[in-house]
Amino acid sequence: MTELAVRYRRKTARHEVQVSAPKGAVTHVHLPDDDAKAHFVTALLKVHCEPGEELELFGEPAVSAAPKKREKLRHRVGAVSPIVGLMSNLNAWENISLPAAYHGTPPLPEVAQMASDVLTSLGAEPKYFFARLPDELGLLDRKMAAFVRLLVAAPELLVFDALEDGLSFGECRQVARFEAEYRTRQPSGTVVYVDTKEES
Amino acid sequence: MLQALREIEGGIQLSLNVAARLPRLRRAPILDQFLRQIYFTGVTAAGGVIPRACGLGVIIIAVMMDMLDADVDLAVKILLLMVFREIGPLAAALVVILRTGTAVSAEVAMMRVTGQTRALRYLGIDLYDYIVLPRVVGCMLATLALTFYVQFIAVAGGLILSPYIIEASFWELTNRLFDLFRPVDFFYSTIKALLFGFAIAACCCWHGLNPPDLTNNAVPKVVTKAVTQSMMLVLLINAVFAYLVFGVLFFGLVKANV
Repeated sequence: MTELAVRYRRKTARHEVQVSAPKGAVTHVHLPDDDAKAHFVTALLKVHCEPGEELELFGEPAVSAAPKKREKLRHRVGAVSPIVGLMSNLNAWENISLPAAYHGTPPLPEVAQMASDVLTSLGAEPKYFFARLPDELGLLDRKMAAFVRLLVAAPELLVFDALEDGLSFGECRQVARFEAEYRTRQPSGTVVYVDTKEES
Repeated sequence: MLQALREIEGGIQLSLNVAARLPRLRRAPILDQFLRQIYFTGVTAAGGVIPRACGLGVIIIAVMMDMLDADVDLAVKILLLMVFREIGPLAAALVVILRTGTAVSAEVAMMRVTGQTRALRYLGIDLYDYIVLPRVVGCMLATLALTFYVQFIAVAGGLILSPYIIEASFWELTNRLFDLFRPVDFFYSTIKALLFGFAIAACCCWHGLNPPDLTNNAVPKVVTKAVTQSMMLVLLINAVFAYLVFGVLFFGLVKANV
């Protein structure tokens, strides 16, 4: 039997949503509307179920998880999502290094090296990029900064929430390289793409 | 009534949280926020606003001395009891409310409204650590520094200006000031300045983190409420503290029977 990284179910009067993402695989999830998407991503990030929702992360039911266990599960999940935006008063480097500086791990020189490597491979100029405030960056650059910040935390489950929304065709090709970058650093990680497009 | 009780309870919780988290100030991003707060409140305010506040203090002294037909004793008492003890900390608190209180409440409310506080939580960063602690401690120390600026410049200004209004030399006034000065005056204004800074920052952070709704319209409402309540808190602390330490209220108009 395949081990699941995520099992999620939400039943409302209008629709029923069921998501299963096998561990280590890439899963594309198409949800009926923005509300369903927001509920799904929020449930994953909070490791918390609202009434009518069921969530299992790495085989652990969220509803019965003790606070410490929930906190540990929370650290294993990350999302590139409008829900987890950048701090507007910090520049890109401060945003990228904020969680590492706060939690004390990994060391900042290591974060700087990793961020420079990833940004260079994604086609950005790190020195120019790091000094910019979020408002001075384009949408693609902001998504890049959020992605690099997430890579530093090395989550086992990575959620890309509407990754291509608002991007041009050329920019979409650039964000398509995010998954490969993640795989390089987290070979056994699980990737979930979420959007609200209808399944064809 | 319920809202008021909720605000008092929230303020107490916030204060206890800040006290319990002081050691976390050493963490790099929190220390960075703390230094930014000190720079914004204590350093940038010193340039333009403080000389004006001090000028105001000096004018008050000049007018009072002229009106009361003061002698050396009264002039020094005005400088010590009014300027050093009361006007110094109050003028500094006013500057902090107008500059820092408005900025902190608006910034924190914007962070709340735009979902940045939610993003911090998802990154495992505690809001009290990152937002409240550096602002409260920074504001306390910066208010203390501003109080010292105002006290020093206003008292020095008063000593220099007084000989032009009353018949006394600068050295006569200075010697009398040192005779009457007691360490309790210094500790009184120091503790009061720290309490003012704490009350202002805690009040502004609390309102910023608890806006009435999550729309942009909430931001001006938060700023208005935070500034008004900060001012009331400062006046309340000033009155209670004066009563506790010296047994007087309203510059000695009301005296304690204890």
